[in-house]
Amino acid sequence: MGNKQTVFTHEQLEAYQDCTFFTRKEIMRLFYRYQDLAPQLVPLDYTSCPDVKVPYELIGSMPELKDNPFRQRIAQVFSEDGDGHMTLDNFLDMFSVMSEMAPRDLKAYYAFKIYDFNNDGYICAWDLEQTVTKLTRGELSAEEVSLVCEKVLDEADGDHDGRLSLEDFQNMILRAPDFLSTFHIRI
Amino acid sequence: MKPSKACQRYRSVRRNPSQHYLYQESLLLSNLDDSFNADETGDSNDPEQIFQNIQFQKDLMANIRCRPWTMAQKLGALRRAKEIVLKFEGRLTRTRGYQAAGAELWRKFARLACNFMAIFIPWEMRIKKIESHFGSGVASYFIFLRWLFGINIVLTMMTAAFIVIPELIAGQPFGSTASKTIPKEHMASAQDLDTVWSLGGYLQYSVLFYGYYGRERRIGRAGYRLPLAYFLVGMAVFAYSFIILLKKMAKNSRNSLASASNENYTFCWRVFCAWDYLIGNPEAAESKTAAIVNSIREAILEEQEKRKSKNLAVTICLRVVANILVLLSLAGSICLIYFVVDRSQKLEQSEKELTLWEKNEQVSVVVSLVTMLAPSAFDLIAALEMYHPRTTLRFQLARVLVLYLGNLYSLIIALLDKVNSMSTEEAATKNNTSHWIDPTIFSATRMAPEEEKWSTPGPGTGLPRNSTWAPEETSIPAYTLPLSEANKTTVYTQRPQDQCWETYVGQEMLKLSIIDMLFTVASVLLIDFFRGLFVRYLSDYWCWDLESKFPEYGEFKIAENVLHLVYNQGMIWMGAFFSPCLPAFNVLKLIGLMYLRSWAVLTCNVPHQQVFRASRSNNFYLAMLLFMLFLCMLPTVFAIVRYKPSLNCGPFSGQEKMYDIVSETIEKDFPAWFGSVVGYVSSPVVILPAVLLLFMLIYYLQSIARSLKLSNQQLRMQIQNARSEDKKKVAQMVEARIQTQEESSKRLPKDSDLSSQLSSAHSLTPQSNGTVVNLDSSSSRSGRVGTVAQRTPPSPQPGLSSPSSPPPGTSKSRSEQDVNRCLRGPSSSAGDRRENRPCSPVTQMKRMEDVRSEPLFRKDFQQIDRPLRGPGLSAMVSRGPRSRTPRYCIVNERDSRQKTHPTFWPEGHFRMDPLGDLVDMCPRTTQHGASRAPQQGPSPQLSEEEEGAPRRELVERSLHPQCLTRLQGAAHFYVGDGSESRTLAPEYQGRVPFKSSDDGFEALLDRPVYGHRKPRSRNFQSAQHPPKLRGKPKVEPSLTESDSMSAASSSDQQNGGDDRSLQVTRSQAKFPRSVRQLGKRKAISRQELIADLSDLICSNV
Repeated sequence: MGNKQTVFTHEQLEAYQDCTFFTRKEIMRLFYRYQDLAPQLVPLDYTSCPDVKVPYELIGSMPELKDNPFRQRIAQVFSEDGDGHMTLDNFLDMFSVMSEMAPRDLKAYYAFKIYDFNNDGYICAWDLEQTVTKLTRGELSAEEVSLVCEKVLDEADGDHDGRLSLEDFQNMILRAPDFLSTFHIRI
Repeated sequence: MKPSKACQRYRSVRRNPSQHYLYQESLLLSNLDDSFNADETGDSNDPEQIFQNIQFQKDLMANIRCRPWTMAQKLGALRRAKEIVLKFEGRLTRTRGYQAAGAELWRKFARLACNFMAIFIPWEMRIKKIESHFGSGVASYFIFLRWLFGINIVLTMMTAAFIVIPELIAGQPFGSTASKTIPKEHMASAQDLDTVWSLGGYLQYSVLFYGYYGRERRIGRAGYRLPLAYFLVGMAVFAYSFIILLKKMAKNSRNSLASASNENYTFCWRVFCAWDYLIGNPEAAESKTAAIVNSIREAILEEQEKRKSKNLAVTICLRVVANILVLLSLAGSICLIYFVVDRSQKLEQSEKELTLWEKNEQVSVVVSLVTMLAPSAFDLIAALEMYHPRTTLRFQLARVLVLYLGNLYSLIIALLDKVNSMSTEEAATKNNTSHWIDPTIFSATRMAPEEEKWSTPGPGTGLPRNSTWAPEETSIPAYTLPLSEANKTTVYTQRPQDQCWETYVGQEMLKLSIIDMLFTVASVLLIDFFRGLFVRYLSDYWCWDLESKFPEYGEFKIAENVLHLVYNQGMIWMGAFFSPCLPAFNVLKLIGLMYLRSWAVLTCNVPHQQVFRASRSNNFYLAMLLFMLFLCMLPTVFAIVRYKPSLNCGPFSGQEKMYDIVSETIEKDFPAWFGSVVGYVSSPVVILPAVLLLFMLIYYLQSIARSLKLSNQQLRMQIQNARSEDKKKVAQMVEARIQTQEESSKRLPKDSDLSSQLSSAHSLTPQSNGTVVNLDSSSSRSGRVGTVAQRTPPSPQPGLSSPSSPPPGTSKSRSEQDVNRCLRGPSSSAGDRRENRPCSPVTQMKRMEDVRSEPLFRKDFQQIDRPLRGPGLSAMVSRGPRSRTPRYCIVNERDSRQKTHPTFWPEGHFRMDPLGDLVDMCPRTTQHGASRAPQQGPSPQLSEEEEGAPRRELVERSLHPQCLTRLQGAAHFYVGDGSESRTLAPEYQGRVPFKSSDDGFEALLDRPVYGHRKPRSRNFQSAQHPPKLRGKPKVEPSLTESDSMSAASSSDQQNGGDDRSLQVTRSQAKFPRSVRQLGKRKAISRQELIADLSDLICSNV
């Protein structure tokens, strides 16, 4: 562990460990991944908390994300200003939430945000359409998509307001057998 | 420090308003900060409080990673929490300080250990790579493999540390005793390949097998009790496996929240849980997409045609046939194995010279072949059945599992059969040779019974022998030596060492394991690799497309591979007792398998078509493993309990039963009292009650589980009920809205935005309340009036009607006020007093009703918000009705009630100041809703979502003075409003989180601001009557929102008033009907109101 202290101070590492689900080794690994994305941008010394953002284009090209239909949403949700550009903190946050250790509630909360394309706090029919289209890469016909959206709302919309609130979503997603195992990015 | 901290908090709060919704703890946190500040300034001496505070902060620190905040917030909160803890910890008593320090130390240590352990998790990257290529399904196989690897490591360590190494170090060296020496006649062939291959020769007489271990009770200088250790470790292997397995299963099931089977979210899950975020490979992504499309289409199809049963007869016939076929093949495989084992034994008897094949391999080869081929056969058969793929998969799994089990069982039964014959043989020889010391007789007699025994292998023969043999037990040590001597000297086809059935079983299991490994390698190479090569390179020259038609590329069949692992582990458990090195071998095998499989998967497999869900399967795998463990333990335990250990080899030689070693140790090596205690404990007197107790416990736990399930169900019912009630209300609302919209559309085709807004708002009102009447009376009302009316509508229910009616009055009064500002101040206060007195009781009584009606209120409220927000008011309105939900009720009620802080007043003023600009805006806003947006800018209000509610109230309070002054009837009004205001305030909170990102969020908050404005100007009035005001304020929120601009700025009010008045005139026309309705319902109240109103009006004018 000794030689890695140059990037972060001991306190920083401790704090990061407190705030994420990672071990020291994983944090370092994530840092180097982050640094690799933009070597000329990201300094190798984080003890002074430089304010550096890696643009979304680079984040989205990570092998972990590049094939994910929701990569843009993920980056937007976790970035500070919703533009997809991420600081190291955001980056750690993202992978912490997506890690195996993160609890269901946390994952569900962020999953909701990811699927809420227009950021209005609800997953409305439009969001659903977006989701389905991205998921299937537009291979479903419009009728099929609308049917699916209708069905989804039918199933999960507990208060019948024509859209999914966070509770509806949590209620549904927490019972899904494979949500935990699929909403997960191993780094 | 205090102000800075407060600022910090506000900032942080503002940044993540949405989280408050999800995690109330965060609310707690901010509250705590407050209390903390209080502590700091005031009585910080209360240790209990400090302690709680610190405790809270520590909880926060421990769980901070579970909060949906951004990292900066988390870091900030963490730092603050640490500061607090550091600062206050010193003030606690010492013991607490020590405790805390200890806990901290432990935490650090745990983290260190965790960091350390992470280094040793093998194959992380490899699995990750596979995961990214194939998704979580395939990866789950490798994770399972790794987990098994871990278990086997532990098992290996157990056996190595307690059996193998002691034996090697302190046991008698190789060749020192008969059981550790290769017989002379075998010496020559001991190094031949086929001997080694069949695990004979040196291997047979090594620590690999049971037979090698010495029987001395103590070995070495330290007196290590090897036989005892052997037995205990053998049992511990099972115990450990059980415990670790159950633990893992419990953990998994806790994670997967397996309940709620009756909840069905087919489509939701297919949409929201379909994507595997682990996938990081274009091909895999492609196929995953295809799979998702398929599954969705499938679901649609299933949905559309609700199961048209076509050709039922045919499918049933086919299924029956298929099942018969499966059963036949199962039976066939079992018979085959049994037959092969039997035949191998006979061959061994009859022929001296056996080929390599005949001697060793046929059993394991046949078993491995069967395990390899049968699943494919099942696959073919399953195609006949035409089940849903998922069902097919389950059937397939079940069949393969049965097959594997059948194989193992028939094998072990056949082996035990042989063991049986061997032991009976031995026993027979012993009986026959009453003078066992004479080697010649011994061996001679032996031959005779041998032949008979094969035909009668029954277990019964063993028993009588034992009884006769029992007396000899004491002289065991003497017995074996001469015997072994004799063996060396005499040459017979059957040597005593060969009689070591434990070794034999161990050999067979190890052989089976090895052959299985070879077959796995072969199948991977053949079925996956060479096929892959073939398809890849020859498809260009072939007459059909190899890649997409017949051979294709191999798929990674997760289910079967997992089953294979389970089967493999079953073999290990079964044989571990007889061959202590089996776990070690298995470790090697698993390592090899890991590399081979991962290589094969990455190079020549394509992802599986059928989606076998990982998480569900995880516990499924484990359940199968548990099942396997149990079934594999049975034969071993049976053999241990049932058969006599062989005479000439192994740690238990010469004993009647293997477990005698325990009782013997207790007798000899423990004090007498311990022996007697154990005797008592193991007597039925204790055991029976213990068993009974266990049963009772099980029953009790089960009944608890049942009751929990019941309560679970009831809770769910409750939720459903609540929802359906909400639904009804929503339906009512929608209906009302539609009506109103229709009306409004008829009435106001050409009105400006505002008017349209108003109309929409009005439309709601008519049905619910008679408030409109007031409007009429006040005929010349400003736009505000219209808005007011809107608010009032929210209460369609009868209970509310009375309260709601007043609002119009208020609105009038207001408008009047606007017109005549000067008069307002004094008169309003007086009016308030009047109204307040009667009203306050009423409000309380009506609370319940109000609560119920909340959803409706909110809806209206929200609607109103919308129009205010955007420029296209009319559009928003149309949207409005649908979107709003009753959801907020709970939160709102709570929050709103909790928070009536007198302290907020000052804050409110605070904020107002920055808003000064808004005032100007207000007039405009009335005309154009659009102008609002810019005003939202002022951040301070936004920052505290929590406080939004309280502020609201403040605002309302401050506002209501106006209303009061205007309306004597206001009392009623405010009753209804009271409910409203409460409900409303919470809404802000609830909504805020979502809106955080948008301007919309801020827009909502604006109103409160406006409200504040008024309060400022009129604060003195409201301040005078705080108690009364409380109830009334509620009305205003609505006012503030809709008219916020008008009401907001005292200075601007006059200007605004003019605008409003114009608007009002337009809007009034719409209300007549509603007025009438109200009039019917609340004739009395109305009359009063009217009287009041007239008074007011007069005064105002």
